[in-house]
Amino acid sequence: MILLQVIAAGLLLGAVYALFSSGLALIWGMMNFINFAHGEFVMAGMYVAFLAVVWLKAGPAGFTLAAACGLFILGVVIYFALIREVLRGPMLAQILSTFGLALFLRYAAFFIFSPNFVTLPQTALTGTVDLDGIYLSVPQLVAGAVALILTLALHLLLSRTQLGSRLLAVAEDREAAMLMGIRPDRMQALAWGLSAASAGIAGALIALSFPFSPEVGGSFVIIAFVVVALGGFGSVPGAMIAGLIIGLIESLSAYWFGPVYKDVVVYGLFVALLWLRPQGLLGTQ
Amino acid sequence: MLLEAKEVSRAFGSFLAVDGASLEIEEGEIVGLIGPNGAGKSTFFNCIAGDLAPTAGRILFAGHDVTERSAEAHARLGIGRTFQVPATFTDMTVLENVMVGAFLRHPERAAARARALEILKRTGLSGVAFQRARGLGTPGRKRLEIARVLATGPRLMLLDEALAGLTPAELQGAIALVRAIHEEGVTLVVVEHIMEVILGLARRVIVFNEGRIIAEGPPQRVVGEPAVIEAYLGRAHLGRRKA
Amino acid sequence: MRWRPFALAAALLVYPLLFRGAFYQDMGALVLIQATSASAWNIVGGYAGQVSVGHAVFFGAGAYLPVLFYELWQLPLFVGVPAGIAVSLAFAFIIGLPTFRLRGHYFSMATIAVAELVRLIVSNSGFLGGAIGLMGPARPRGWWDLVFRSAVPYYYIFLAVLGLVLLATWQMERSRFGYYLRAIRADERAAKSLGVPVSRYKLYAFMLSAAFTAAAGSLYIIKTGFIDPESGFGILVSVQMIIIAALGGAGTLLGPLLGAILLVPLQTATNTWFGGGATGLTYIFYGGIIMLIARFEPGGLIELWRLRIAPLLLRRRGDAHAP
Ligand SMILES: Nc1ncnc2c1ncn2[C@@H]1O[C@H](COP(=O)(O)OP(=O)(O)OP(=O)(O)O)[C@@H](O)[C@H]1O
Ligand SMILES: [Mg+2]
Repeated sequence: MILLQVIAAGLLLGAVYALFSSGLALIWGMMNFINFAHGEFVMAGMYVAFLAVVWLKAGPAGFTLAAACGLFILGVVIYFALIREVLRGPMLAQILSTFGLALFLRYAAFFIFSPNFVTLPQTALTGTVDLDGIYLSVPQLVAGAVALILTLALHLLLSRTQLGSRLLAVAEDREAAMLMGIRPDRMQALAWGLSAASAGIAGALIALSFPFSPEVGGSFVIIAFVVVALGGFGSVPGAMIAGLIIGLIESLSAYWFGPVYKDVVVYGLFVALLWLRPQGLLGTQ
Repeated sequence: MLLEAKEVSRAFGSFLAVDGASLEIEEGEIVGLIGPNGAGKSTFFNCIAGDLAPTAGRILFAGHDVTERSAEAHARLGIGRTFQVPATFTDMTVLENVMVGAFLRHPERAAARARALEILKRTGLSGVAFQRARGLGTPGRKRLEIARVLATGPRLMLLDEALAGLTPAELQGAIALVRAIHEEGVTLVVVEHIMEVILGLARRVIVFNEGRIIAEGPPQRVVGEPAVIEAYLGRAHLGRRKA
Repeated sequence: MRWRPFALAAALLVYPLLFRGAFYQDMGALVLIQATSASAWNIVGGYAGQVSVGHAVFFGAGAYLPVLFYELWQLPLFVGVPAGIAVSLAFAFIIGLPTFRLRGHYFSMATIAVAELVRLIVSNSGFLGGAIGLMGPARPRGWWDLVFRSAVPYYYIFLAVLGLVLLATWQMERSRFGYYLRAIRADERAAKSLGVPVSRYKLYAFMLSAAFTAAAGSLYIIKTGFIDPESGFGILVSVQMIIIAALGGAGTLLGPLLGAILLVPLQTATNTWFGGGATGLTYIFYGGIIMLIARFEPGGLIELWRLRIAPLLLRRRGDAHAP
């Protein structure tokens, strides 16, 4: 019974991992670019949610929306201020840019909010559900469900809508897309907005049930790396399935080996993956 | 036989960019490779140079099977190539660019430098030897690409539109350079859109279309073949309809 | 131009004699350690253009093994130095071999993941002191323990090691190896087409860089006699190397040293000004600088000088001479 509960909790958390990792995969797929600040976007989402609760007395829906909007804007601004230029530069510049951004965001939060852990003030979402002997907390259940729906929605947006095909057109061939009347800059800015928003929402959802501090971004970014590496780089559906798998592995290893080892197992998996199947478990090429 | 390609194919997903192309080149030849845009010429070059693995077929060079070998191994065996979009090392000087090529056969710096300076003189780049390659225009970069490959001491050189985008005067100079390289015993395969260049250089022309070789022979004869005219005109009609 | 490196070397040699305060001598030693590790990072991150964001793993190995040998067998610290280098080479091989066959960012992701993995493992390993860390000999048992009251002996040991690293880098720069690395950074595909064994050279560069970084870590433990997971393997250790090298000029011989000379005193100063609150502000500032470098001049200050400021000065001087 406990094992089932661990599995369910892992899958719920994995859905949230899938959501923010999809954002990373989107940027990778479109621009061949790794955002080292992605974990800090998740962290920023948590603090935006926190501020929305404290200042606006927002409820769960409200603060999640606030995190989405706040991070969307942040993503777009960062694209125009930093990334657009850096994309044309050498690899050193590409990696330094978001690495510097990560540092900046992390310690800005550190400075503003202090390094201590905080929890969101009591929200409307509380209690547990008894699913035939498996007890799941309502916030985790809601977070998992919302994350899963949004990841699916992102996938559908990219694969089924005109906007999605425009984004993919830019990814495939910038010049050709321009000839088709698409403005690549706008599409890439949009991708950054969506990617950051996915991280922000994920942050708000995690904040529903876990305390957080400015330093949490550091492990989220590596989790996102593991997920996209497992799912095949640049693939949103791949990231979705891989996110669930990683959530599950993390949950099980915390249960079997103790909580401190959950990250060890997941990071170790990443190194193993590099050796054994660098194209990703679910990827081709 | 210096180079032998047997039924070489290369697919990108389900799209066959090169579709069963076979080709034989004797030591000392200059062969022209022509065809409309998107015919698969560059992809074929990439396969011969080891930059892309063919999805089917075999490639033999001087008796070795090089199909699965890396691009570095190709260079070591003596296959040199230029890139259609010049891939110069922009932060390095022109001399340093050529030295990278020269190091292949001359591991010592002094020897590589001497060799590179010699090649710069021959390719008419001595004047800009100490400039960063970033500052060169397209003609300079194309020349630098040729110089760099030459410095590796190749037996076979694949020139992918190395003479495109030059003014008529520069073009004459470049053709003379290619001839001089050939006279030293380097075998050449030249991709070029300008017919004048092909007619001036090659004794034998191969025409590519949609990944296949559709004609082969002396240039004057080949350009008159109906299949070749159709390949080019067909594209032209298509282009007009789109516009 | 030729005289500049010699002037720099002379200034470094006499510095502790001119500045006799313990504060300045300590800072000088710190500048040298940081310059050493940043110069080591520079070999793979600067010259070869393969940006490691987890170099702390080598620094940490270089710092931990000597003190572990002391802990286990009471050996003097310098005995463990080769072991730290060996472990670093092994880590570099494990990370480099699979990732260098793949494209670009893979390597950076792997470095940060491995560094974090090792930090977590070390923090939870009792025999490595866990989160608290390990301590070297408190009192010297003989000269071989290399415990000095003054920072000056350390300063000259560090200067010698830095000199060695820079000499090796200089040799590399002038040899085929260095040309190949710069070609790889500029355009891998073109480098391959000219016969450069790209993956192999990247691995060599990474291993060389790892070995020197481990040496810097060893210097650190020899002077401080104490190491914990954060100051050995923490992400900020990697940040420090990257920002120093990138600020001065990644891929140049003296860029990292220049970066250390500028940044380390600045950091010491901000620490004194802001007191305990400095950490947040310092790293906000660092993040900002790294972004500015990436956005405006990835070549750092040396490139900024060469490409933008020096031509400007030359032009002005030319104007003055014109009739
Ligand atoms: N990496 C790739 N992925 C997918 N398709 C590709 C790739 N490289 C080339 N192609 C496609 O293969 C076909 C052949 O391209 P290739 O560059 O070989 O033509 P080409 O004959 O050199 O044309 P051009 O004269 O314009 O240089 C084109 O339709 C091109 O779009
Ligand atoms: Mg082509």
